[in-house]
Amino acid sequence: MKRRLMTIVALVLVLAMALTITAAVGGCKRGPKGVIKVGVAGPMQFIQGQHHWLGAELAAEEINQAGGVDIGGDKYLIELVKIDTNEILSVDDAAAAIERAITVDKVDFIVGTIRTEAALAMQEVAMDHQKIFIVCGASHTQLADKVAADYDRYKYWFRVTPINVGHLVTTSMLLLQHVGQVVRDELGIQTPKVAVIIEKAVAGDPLAAAAQMVIPSFGMQVVGVWRPSPTATDMTAELTAIRNSGANIIYTYFSASAGVTYAKQWGELQIPAASVGINVEAQAKGFMDATGGFGNYEFTLNTLARIKITDKTIPFYDKFVERSGQFPTYNAGTYDAIYIWKEAAERAASLDSDDIVAEMEKTDYHAAAGRIVFDEKHDVKWGPGFVTAVGTQWQDGELVCVWPYGWQGITYEGTVEYKLPPWMLGD
Amino acid sequence: MTVQKYLYRLYQEFKGEILVLPGRTVLFAGGVLLFLLPLVWNHPYLLRIVAMTCIFAIYAASWDLLSGFVGQLNLGHAIFFGTAAYTSALLNLHLGLPPWLTIPVGAFGAVLMGLLIGVPCLRLKGQYLSLATLAFPIILMGLVLLFSPVTGGELGVSGLTRLAATRLREYYVTAGLAVVLCLAMWKITDSKLGIIFHAIREDEVAARASGINTPLYKVLAFCLSGFFAGLAGGLYAHFMRIAGPSTLGVLMSFQPIIWSIFGGIATIYGAVVGVFVLFPMVEFFRMAMEIRMLLFAGVIILVLRFMPEGLVPWLIDRLERQCPRCKERSAVTRRTCRVCGTPLRVPLRRAAPPHAGGAAATERGGD
Repeated sequence: MKRRLMTIVALVLVLAMALTITAAVGGCKRGPKGVIKVGVAGPMQFIQGQHHWLGAELAAEEINQAGGVDIGGDKYLIELVKIDTNEILSVDDAAAAIERAITVDKVDFIVGTIRTEAALAMQEVAMDHQKIFIVCGASHTQLADKVAADYDRYKYWFRVTPINVGHLVTTSMLLLQHVGQVVRDELGIQTPKVAVIIEKAVAGDPLAAAAQMVIPSFGMQVVGVWRPSPTATDMTAELTAIRNSGANIIYTYFSASAGVTYAKQWGELQIPAASVGINVEAQAKGFMDATGGFGNYEFTLNTLARIKITDKTIPFYDKFVERSGQFPTYNAGTYDAIYIWKEAAERAASLDSDDIVAEMEKTDYHAAAGRIVFDEKHDVKWGPGFVTAVGTQWQDGELVCVWPYGWQGITYEGTVEYKLPPWMLGD
Repeated sequence: MTVQKYLYRLYQEFKGEILVLPGRTVLFAGGVLLFLLPLVWNHPYLLRIVAMTCIFAIYAASWDLLSGFVGQLNLGHAIFFGTAAYTSALLNLHLGLPPWLTIPVGAFGAVLMGLLIGVPCLRLKGQYLSLATLAFPIILMGLVLLFSPVTGGELGVSGLTRLAATRLREYYVTAGLAVVLCLAMWKITDSKLGIIFHAIREDEVAARASGINTPLYKVLAFCLSGFFAGLAGGLYAHFMRIAGPSTLGVLMSFQPIIWSIFGGIATIYGAVVGVFVLFPMVEFFRMAMEIRMLLFAGVIILVLRFMPEGLVPWLIDRLERQCPRCKERSAVTRRTCRVCGTPLRVPLRRAAPPHAGGAAATERGGD
């Protein structure tokens, strides 16, 4: 009886596998005319992939409601194809997912991805098939360097968000300088002391070295470097040591849950040093709840805020919050990526990748994240007049934009003044 | 005439060695199908999945060679895979060497790693050896991240030369090598060396007492296993065109263990079949991404619950029967052993009911 049952189960499984592979591989004909398939690639079980998808979904809905994409007079609707790359766990899984999307689902172009090692493998697959691949998550420069090294092969690659890792560090240093100036002005300390706290992760190593080298050139003094675990649940020791060091500013880098622990205890212990840098957890809507209300005055680099970077920023931001109940992260840049592709395809009046690439290179698009122009490596340009990124601070339980605030003459509408924590002012 | 004779002899050999046993016939048919697949279904995605399966089949079989046959339970097999992947990648990227050269050189790098691990681990046994082997890829990962200007750090080494110019050629390279290398590993385990490996696994003290230089053979097993795993690592690097820290990850170390145990440990072909079932199956489960790993785990648990020896031994037990006298295997359809002619199906006599009395006792040869 048991043997018969096992045989039946095995037969059903084999039959189901055979039928599905047949359907997947054999039935891979292009969709009906008038549909453009956009592959949205990301780790869909994680927040990054979910934001990739939500951003793309909003763009597709808006475009379709407005009549679709106009290619030489023909209207095409956008159809999204979810590509769960599982890239955080497996690189070969990610590459297979992309190949499947291109050859089985017949996507016309791809947006998304987050992890650079996987993005490099996916980039190769997309370039093999000459498919446009717009990154909205992986920040390393190596992806863009390939375009410069072998343009003919890699010209189908573009990055819309975030700004590359070099610019991210530069911007975080600008935030530090901004806080340094406020400390000088309000506390009268001409050479502020800076404590550097960077989570003990690979990405943090070069940042720790760079911070110690660069910060003194800003007229500040580095009093020490602390490297807690990315999953630390207690940072009393580090924060007490920082308090004893006499630091006026804490320069942070937290990409994981330790960012919550840090901010909570920093506020709870009322460490008399302003906190500034990169704290990914502080970009999330649930940050104040997670820190038990102690996260106020935490200042972090961000991609978007509810300010008027362009006319598109606030409508997109509100729609995203309404749809998901979360603040959009940089992964939601799939929204801008799809619009950029659409405009380029419409200008090219063609669905041919080469024609669209030629038009994408001419992109000058006012997106939700700022004015997007690509450099010669197809990387998004950073700087005054282009995408700048923003600095956001938690003030009275609200996430507000506080930077750029006069930097290079830029202050986006809705930006407010940075506030030092009241316990530093003796209030 | 000589050619005809030769062909006839070849056919007889084929008939006597392959067709005589259903298990071998099925494996042979699988091998033939592997080469015919692109003629029927030349689809890049399908070929990618099967090519990756072939690479991982070599990798899983190499783990089985070391852990299944010699009993040296290696929990850090990715050390060989990753070492070869990085060696091949760096040689290709910096010296411009072609894949046909970088892959074997990478495999020799893995052999060196086998020596480095094998020698200090000679005195370790059981779980202590396993824990020590688990540490090696973690150490190498640390070195990779430490020397990031050379190794590319967390991004790895990318932009490598493609394994072959087209997907079809890549497929045939990986499929051809998988068949040849897995057969080579099977032949090793079927040889005198295989018997020594078996002896070390079963009772190392007794093997040593019999005059076998067990430390030497254990190091040899590490090196051989490292060589085959290294070839798989080099193939992977050139197929993916990237060698990154994930090639040294814990997942990469644990996968061959799962594949081999699922298929049937200490068989080589069990590990290969394990990969050919599980790797495409995980890909197939992509359509239910949210519960993919749950389904995967469910299949593993079910199979190991009902087939504790693994899938292949279970299947073979149903297709073939072992002779009680000479221990050779014959097809289950045969009534007598194909070698010694001993009856394979001994009719079972039902015990007579108690009321049958003395007649039954006489039939049973009772006293």
